[in-house]
Amino acid sequence: MSIASAPLVLPDDAWAEEQEGVLSNWFFRDGAQVREGEPVAEVMVAKVEFEIVAPRTGTLSIAVPQEGIIQKGVPIGSVRHD
Amino acid sequence: MPNETERLLTPARAGREAVIWEMERNPNILFIGEDVVHMGGVFNTATGLATQFPGRVIDTPISETGFFGIAAGAAMDGMRPIVELAFADFMAVCLNPIVNYAAKTHYMSNGQFKVPMVIMIGAGGGYNNGAEQSQCLYSVLAHFPGIKVAVPSNSYDAKGLVHAAIRDDNPVAIMYHKATMGVPWLGTPLPTIINHVPETDYVVPLGSAKVVREGSDVTIVGLAWTVHQALLAADTLLERGISAEVVDLRSLVPLDKTTLVHSVRKTGRLVVTDEDYLSYGMTGEVVASIVEADVSMFKAPPRRVAYPDVPPPASRSLEGMCMPDASKIVKAVLEIL
Amino acid sequence: MTIREGVMSPNNQMRLWMYERMFRHRQFEEQLIAAYFEGKRPAFDMKAGPLPGEMHFSFGQEPVAVGVCANLDTEDVITTAHRPHHVAIARDVNLKRLAAEVFQRKDGLSKGRGGHMHLYDSSVGFSCSSIVGESMGPTAGIALSRKLRNKPGVAVTIIGEGATNQGAWHEVMNMASLWKLPFVCVVEDNYYGVTVSKKESTSISRNSDRASAYGCFGEYVEGNDADLIYVAAQRAIARARDGLGPTILEVQTARLKGHYAGDQNAYVPQDIKDKYFQDPIPTYRDRLLKKGASNENSLRAVERKISDEVDEAIRFGRESDYPDAVEALQGVFA
Repeated sequence: MSIASAPLVLPDDAWAEEQEGVLSNWFFRDGAQVREGEPVAEVMVAKVEFEIVAPRTGTLSIAVPQEGIIQKGVPIGSVRHD
Repeated sequence: MPNETERLLTPARAGREAVIWEMERNPNILFIGEDVVHMGGVFNTATGLATQFPGRVIDTPISETGFFGIAAGAAMDGMRPIVELAFADFMAVCLNPIVNYAAKTHYMSNGQFKVPMVIMIGAGGGYNNGAEQSQCLYSVLAHFPGIKVAVPSNSYDAKGLVHAAIRDDNPVAIMYHKATMGVPWLGTPLPTIINHVPETDYVVPLGSAKVVREGSDVTIVGLAWTVHQALLAADTLLERGISAEVVDLRSLVPLDKTTLVHSVRKTGRLVVTDEDYLSYGMTGEVVASIVEADVSMFKAPPRRVAYPDVPPPASRSLEGMCMPDASKIVKAVLEIL
Repeated sequence: MTIREGVMSPNNQMRLWMYERMFRHRQFEEQLIAAYFEGKRPAFDMKAGPLPGEMHFSFGQEPVAVGVCANLDTEDVITTAHRPHHVAIARDVNLKRLAAEVFQRKDGLSKGRGGHMHLYDSSVGFSCSSIVGESMGPTAGIALSRKLRNKPGVAVTIIGEGATNQGAWHEVMNMASLWKLPFVCVVEDNYYGVTVSKKESTSISRNSDRASAYGCFGEYVEGNDADLIYVAAQRAIARARDGLGPTILEVQTARLKGHYAGDQNAYVPQDIKDKYFQDPIPTYRDRLLKKGASNENSLRAVERKISDEVDEAIRFGRESDYPDAVEALQGVFA
């Protein structure tokens, strides 16, 4: 991941143990322009929902599609500075 | 000039945007209900609101009759409460303050008192939860004069209808079908449920139906979940060379008879589909309203695809028998062609 | 009990205020009784005559209404149920418009739409509606609105002792107590819910004792005495204003004319009648004279004036036209 690109991850404390989560909804399509602080996706770990916000303004790149499994520390996508 | 970026919010989130926008501008708006503070409502209608609007989001005890009456009184005194009924089934617990008190006060007082309250209701089944947790009951409130009823089926409409409801000076029920809200624990929403939600505020007027898919051979009228089943049915029908027009009713009260009549005048055939019980409900009302307008435009008798008159069963095989779905709608269309 | 004048009683000016309204109500209902049975006899047809529908007279319950309303300010709100005339009059609802509404005419408070059990007068913060216990939620809601918006005013509802067995009553008492709402629940214990006595319907003898279930205040006032009710209501309303939460103020009173018009109270045992079903107005009139609040001549003059006022109001009500039929279809929505 280049310096110009900020990863989208769940905060560490969202993961109770070695668990899988699922990507519930993306709010934007791959390649869309997103703003810093804007919610971009919803993720579910066990039965708890989390919101992922864009850490910076830029172009969204989706790594894990809707219904895809996610793991602790693995980014679901990134926001690329243009 | 770049277009506005497509914002594919879930209907729950879109509706919340409307609530937040209105609450930011009007300090008299409250959000009252069970589990709305810590949980944000069972179906995410209030996620984050308590933090943003301290003191205006209120958890109630399990006392529907009591707090619906309280909401009505607060509305009469100048507030604009949004009050949540987590499951439509529970309206049987608290009908009186809604349909006898709130709905009738403006009329009985000759306009001395208005009751601007919004009732958010989670409705519908299809996830094997049993009879007292799965009903739609769209037409129950609609039957009583004095309350408006709107049912959003997608993200865009959710935000627009919620804006309209909050701005309306009357009791308005916004009935969300649970499977059309995009809550993650009910599985992945159908793609037709999620659409672009503009960032600005906007209104989808109460009492306006929408043709969501144009067609010429048959009109299929749906509400909430059945709109999406109708769209799937339309795809299947097209493969067989049949062009179906799908109308999303969006509101029961007021009822948009103009759009309905216009569509059937065009196609000559009508299938009405509702996940609420067949008898004494939405499908009967829609058929009667269109037939009354002009029976001669019908090339075939109207058909209804609705939940049978049985309490919703839990088991998957039983519930599957009852739920209106695309294949049942296709079958009904083929019967009248 | 020995009443300590000025401490456990209203002053004479207040006594007169209360008596005038009790007397006005009594005159009003005397005339309504006559009008009610007009055109309905011999075979009773409820929809016949100048005053159709049901009618619930509050003869004998006047002390509750005046004792409570004497303590209310303009920003306060009072609601009640299907037996509302004494409360409406104690709250100084316009008498002509009240009469016209009871006669269901177009000059009524709601242009005839509401009728005798659904009276609304927003100008004096008064309303009533007819499903038993129904007023609890909305009245507490008004209290909630005042509290949340930091606006003055208490919201009081006057209900019957039968209503305290409704689910809504318990739910609202819990919430009003939990949230310390500026709300008072006045329970008119006229001992009967239609034909069922309190003893036959309620597991305890005093609803005011239910206060311990909600952690709020509860008081019971015996005697159907406007002065005693006045003082207790003052306490309850002050507590509500001061943020101490609601009071269940239960007040013994007397439903002298039965539940509905025509009900002869035949099911009421004689010993209950003797003990509880006494007319409070003559007793109070005597007290006014004894306490020097007025003298016989002044009082008669006041009473004559009020009688004339009531005559005029009733005549106004009876002579007012019926509303235009087409109005039935209007005004459902704001």
